[in-house]
Amino acid sequence: MTRKHQGVPRRTFLQRAGSIAAAGAALGAPQWIPSGALAAAGRPGANEKLTVGFIGVGGMGGGHLKGMVGRMKQGLVNIAAVCDIDDKRLENASRTAGPQADCYRDYRELLDRKDIDAVVIATPDHWHAVQTVHAAERGKHVYVEKPACCTVEEGKAMIEAAHKAKIAVQVGSQGRSQPEAYLAHRYLVNGNIGKISQVDCFHYPSPVGGFNPDGDAPPELDWDLWLGPLRWRPFNRGYCHGVFRWLMESGGGQIRDRGAHVMSCAMWWMGADGTGPVEVEATGEAPKRGLWDSAVTISVKYTFKNPDWVLTWNQPGEPVPPEERTGKEPGGAISRPGYGAVYRGDKGTFVHWGGDGGTWAERKAREWQPGPGAVDVYRSPGHMEDWFEGIKTGKRTIMNVDAGVDVAILTVLGNLAFRLGRKLRWDHSKREIVGDEQAQRLAGRPQRYPYTL
Amino acid sequence: MDELNLDTLLKLIQSADDTERAGARDRAGIVGAAAVAPLAKLAVEAENLEVARAANRAIQNIVYHAGRPGAADEAKAVTAALVGLLGTKHAQFRRDVLWMIWQIGGEDAAEPVARLLDDAEVGDDARMCLERLPGARATELLRARLASAPEAQRPAVAHSLRVRGVEVAGFPSQKLTPTKKTTVKPVGRA
Repeated sequence: MTRKHQGVPRRTFLQRAGSIAAAGAALGAPQWIPSGALAAAGRPGANEKLTVGFIGVGGMGGGHLKGMVGRMKQGLVNIAAVCDIDDKRLENASRTAGPQADCYRDYRELLDRKDIDAVVIATPDHWHAVQTVHAAERGKHVYVEKPACCTVEEGKAMIEAAHKAKIAVQVGSQGRSQPEAYLAHRYLVNGNIGKISQVDCFHYPSPVGGFNPDGDAPPELDWDLWLGPLRWRPFNRGYCHGVFRWLMESGGGQIRDRGAHVMSCAMWWMGADGTGPVEVEATGEAPKRGLWDSAVTISVKYTFKNPDWVLTWNQPGEPVPPEERTGKEPGGAISRPGYGAVYRGDKGTFVHWGGDGGTWAERKAREWQPGPGAVDVYRSPGHMEDWFEGIKTGKRTIMNVDAGVDVAILTVLGNLAFRLGRKLRWDHSKREIVGDEQAQRLAGRPQRYPYTL
Repeated sequence: MDELNLDTLLKLIQSADDTERAGARDRAGIVGAAAVAPLAKLAVEAENLEVARAANRAIQNIVYHAGRPGAADEAKAVTAALVGLLGTKHAQFRRDVLWMIWQIGGEDAAEPVARLLDDAEVGDDARMCLERLPGARATELLRARLASAPEAQRPAVAHSLRVRGVEVAGFPSQKLTPTKKTTVKPVGRA
């Protein structure tokens, strides 16, 4: 590769690797933080337990909660509170978290707790930015599910709030932290496929659905709080748990849900964090019927300059059949072969599948052995553990707020170019759309008061 | 597909065939402002939910198309057609119209939007629409609203003014103030 790699410098990597090795490489264990680290203002010391609260404890939030309970049992964290707008989910979460955890419907009550250091936000997409900003304003460190934001305006507010509060934010694009992501990154950075000029992501289409009429919200659900910043609308199950992501307003389809994973890997491995495209163009097809309006098929081309490369999102594109595996590889068997990306260099290609909690690199990257002078890259101790390290030491997390927002913005711009039916120009230095007044307006949107940034 | 005009758009958007109906919806932009009112009638009155939905989304596509750079006259015409729908009795559709107006409307749209600020069902959407409309008139109308609005609504109006860059004394943000309680108790706690 001729471009300068923008990832973690080798010396930093070696320091991290050393500290991890010295602590027995205990993945998931904050004790690998150097014991001499002193607590900075608003930052727990290396040997202090974090006290964590959970906002949104359904699908992903429920999974994160279970993982955190494991850490609590090891004496690594305290779980002080769980919060959800669905009482059934809240009760289930309480059962998982244990009797010490208080229960809340209103996340702002949880944020008022002075004893809570950090929050895990796993609400529907349209809440991510508002709750991250509010948590930052209450001085809480944040792990927030992806995609980070639904609009450019939200993303910029997240960055500003997180920087101002000096909190550690980890966006839940956990593909970056997977073992085979490290192998892929190292393989690509060392020029094994030459200069990479194009990355083509593939993913199966978004579904069609939402055929039930509007109705009454179930009694356990606070529909007003579910909607939060969104404009008011009558309840419909087609908007709600698990399927919100098929609506443009509250999700945006596969390009947003999985694009925030697959394109996150691309930006990380290409050393493109901190950069953005100069042009975005898209074509696709919206559902022919049903409530859901996210593009069923969509192809987006992102053109980057200086250095020049092209990122494409292809739904469905040309899926690459998964390679055969034994299941004993670092990432195990490929369980979700329907998405991934092809990296095209002037000396060859590289494929990965998945890109989220399952990230599987092509065999040649897994088997490649670095020789003398090879460049190494940052190896995440685990996505949550990387966040803990960020909280305790102040280091930038692997999917920090800037990187998380910029990947989300890619997905936002792709959908916006599709909806508007025209090419967009983007000034990344200002994080602004150029020369299209309507698109600039649609880079933000009003929010219902008081659920505002 | 044949060239789309107002008649064929209205015919195809009512088709029972998903592909025909969606095709018309997706190409509605080129028909422009003339289609807004007849599509609105279908969006509100069509008995077939899919037809109503397609008509509604066709209007949105017209808004997107007319909002493109260099089409100021089209944008103005579409805005005027949308403003003409603000009196519709269907509250959710009024709301949809307001949300399209802020995406395309100019300063001229501010007055008719502001007339809905006291609308019991969509008054808050009118405030949000004004929040995003360009020009000094929307700011003036929000300032006036701040003085005249019921006490409970004034913090929201103050928020909208602040979004527009206006300094507002008083009315501290309520965004971090908890308002909701759960009845769920920690499971297993004595």
